[in-house]
Amino acid sequence: MGNGMQTETEKEVGKEFEKEFEKIGTENIADRKKEAGAEIEMKTPPEKTGDVIIEGIDIVRTFRMGEVQVRALRGVSVKILHGEFIAIMGPSGSGKTTLLNQLGLLDTPNSGKVIINGIDTSLMSDKEKGKFRLHNLGYVFQDYALLPELNASENVYISLMMQGRSKAEYESAAAEILAAVGLGDRLAQLPSKMSGGQQQRVSIARALAHKPIILFADEPCANLDSQTSKEVLDLFKKFNKEYGQTIVMVTHEDWHAAYTDRVIRLKDGMLE
Amino acid sequence: MLEKAKVSFFLAGRSITRGNKGITIFTVFVLTLIFLQLVLFSSMLAGVTLKFNELMVDFQTGNVVVEPKEEERYIEGASALQKKIESLPQVVGTSARLKTSGNFRYKEKEMGATVYGIDPGDETFVTGLEDAVISGEFLSRPDRGEVILGREVSGGYGALMESRSLGGVEVGDTVELTISGKTREFRVKGIYSTLFFMADAGAYISRADMEEMLGVEDLDLAHEIAVKTTEGTDEYETRTALLSLGIRENIRTWHEFAGILRLIENTLGLVRNIMNAIGLLIAFVIIFVVIYVNIVNKKRQIGVQKAIGIEQNVIVLSFVLQAMLYAGTGVILGYCFMRFGLAPYTVAHPVQIPLGEMSLKFDDAEAINRAVLLFLASIVGSVIPAYKLAEKDLLDLIWGK
Ligand SMILES: Nc1ncnc2c1ncn2[C@@H]1O[C@H](COP(=O)(O)OP(=O)(O)OP(=O)(O)O)[C@@H](O)[C@H]1O
Ligand SMILES: [Mg+2]
Repeated sequence: MGNGMQTETEKEVGKEFEKEFEKIGTENIADRKKEAGAEIEMKTPPEKTGDVIIEGIDIVRTFRMGEVQVRALRGVSVKILHGEFIAIMGPSGSGKTTLLNQLGLLDTPNSGKVIINGIDTSLMSDKEKGKFRLHNLGYVFQDYALLPELNASENVYISLMMQGRSKAEYESAAAEILAAVGLGDRLAQLPSKMSGGQQQRVSIARALAHKPIILFADEPCANLDSQTSKEVLDLFKKFNKEYGQTIVMVTHEDWHAAYTDRVIRLKDGMLE
Repeated sequence: MLEKAKVSFFLAGRSITRGNKGITIFTVFVLTLIFLQLVLFSSMLAGVTLKFNELMVDFQTGNVVVEPKEEERYIEGASALQKKIESLPQVVGTSARLKTSGNFRYKEKEMGATVYGIDPGDETFVTGLEDAVISGEFLSRPDRGEVILGREVSGGYGALMESRSLGGVEVGDTVELTISGKTREFRVKGIYSTLFFMADAGAYISRADMEEMLGVEDLDLAHEIAVKTTEGTDEYETRTALLSLGIRENIRTWHEFAGILRLIENTLGLVRNIMNAIGLLIAFVIIFVVIYVNIVNKKRQIGVQKAIGIEQNVIVLSFVLQAMLYAGTGVILGYCFMRFGLAPYTVAHPVQIPLGEMSLKFDDAEAINRAVLLFLASIVGSVIPAYKLAEKDLLDLIWGK
């Protein structure tokens, strides 16, 4: 599967990887290159900052609730550039979550397309989308959505494990990213023993552990007090600025939006 | 492939060690009970069959029975043959019997029974009848005109078919016995009960009395010679040994007399199979429900796992692995309970059943068979709900009610 996505030769992709990790600068590139062959089919090569990394074209998403049709998105087109920190804003029910889910491949639009890194995701099967999410996308949910039976470190490395990385690799990667979000001393702690802010930081670590090309966050601070919200937003900002992480975040608060580069406003399922 | 399975194992392991202990314990407990239910009836049936067989060997046939040659009514030269057989080292004793059906009469009641003419001394070496006497005494060598009745003939003493019996004959009473047209009076010397109704529906008189009634006095004839061998001797080897002594008579092991028992066993076996099928179905449904409830509670988790890219198969397998572990633990606990608990306990403290005392006979091969079936039920019972749920739409799983 996924042959359609393999548009470049292994060598070129390897080079692209090198570029990315030079930029991110936290990984052993030689090791990653070795694996590139195995991952190539899913890990898409990132573009330079400023290129369009994700594009939604005329997205329509309609929900059927019994007899009633809810038109959550009525033809939304967006372009997001590599390295951008984007806020999606709008009144409640305007379709923010729905749009994020379409862009993040958690849902499929009734019509329209989502193109990520030049790849038309509308051609992918569910299984391919799953694999694409595993390798390329990261998510932060409003209620953290950590797996309660896994501790902080395990929550973070489960997707790396799924990618087939070695134990040493995923454990050190998890420790590293948890340290980066300020939880270096809580690797073995269970979510139930953590505060909301800590849980959200674990969830950010999980979303970033596999170095996704885009991070999606749906009201990540909705359950947090303003001090903790600020810490979380600072974290986002740090990853955005220092590592060029592309972030798309839904929020209600103007002061959250102030952290971002650009705001996409929705109203009644359309761009405002 | 293996890496994916590793993730399943990882998730299953964490779920068991960090998940709800109450649910785990409950599930394992239920599976233990199901396993016990599956093996208990078989063990009981095996125990009853074993008991039946023991009773037959101990009170009726001995280990091997020598019968007349084809087409002949009697074994001739019975005492010489007995001597010959007793020369074998594994033979404990032999009893030459005359055996015929007779008709008893006591007051107004009449009933037919198998009557044996025996040498009391010899019989004692072969069967445990002497110890089975519950009233009066067993025959002794010089006794004439005396009879020992089984409780199914005498009536009373807890006979199973009281209405067919003579209705309460006591030791010292006189009964009339008619054999091939000749009627004579006998004094009841003893009443016995083996708890094995086939053996208890018989009567014993001395061989001399029987010879007289059959009109074969001093001819040294017998209808059968029952042979008792030492504990643990294989019946078929005994038969071979007897054949090599040059015995031309018909030699049958007790197994061949167990025909009716086999019939009962087969009938009960059918019941057992039906019960097993029902048991397995119940097992399947219970596993299904328990796993289903367990999984439905984790709907959101499954959604999150899917969202971050954990493959559906990996998620399903993690639940199946859990179910397999539950089933495995249940089977092991159930096995240990039967093997080292209940079965030995019933051996030490047998259960009273109408047939006598019964112990459970726990068969390993059968237990393994049940274990495998239960295991399969747990796999199917977990695959279906796990698959159905994991297949659902992501939005439904994460945000659905
Ligand atoms: N799964 C669904 N089934 C039916 N209707 C839905 C579903 N998801 C969303 N909707 C509807 O689509 C519209 C947009 O919903 P969406 O969740 O995207 O809004 P939102 O902008 O995220 O709102 P909020 O700020 O409250 O989170 C709403 O009218 C909502 O009721
Ligand atoms: Mg929303």
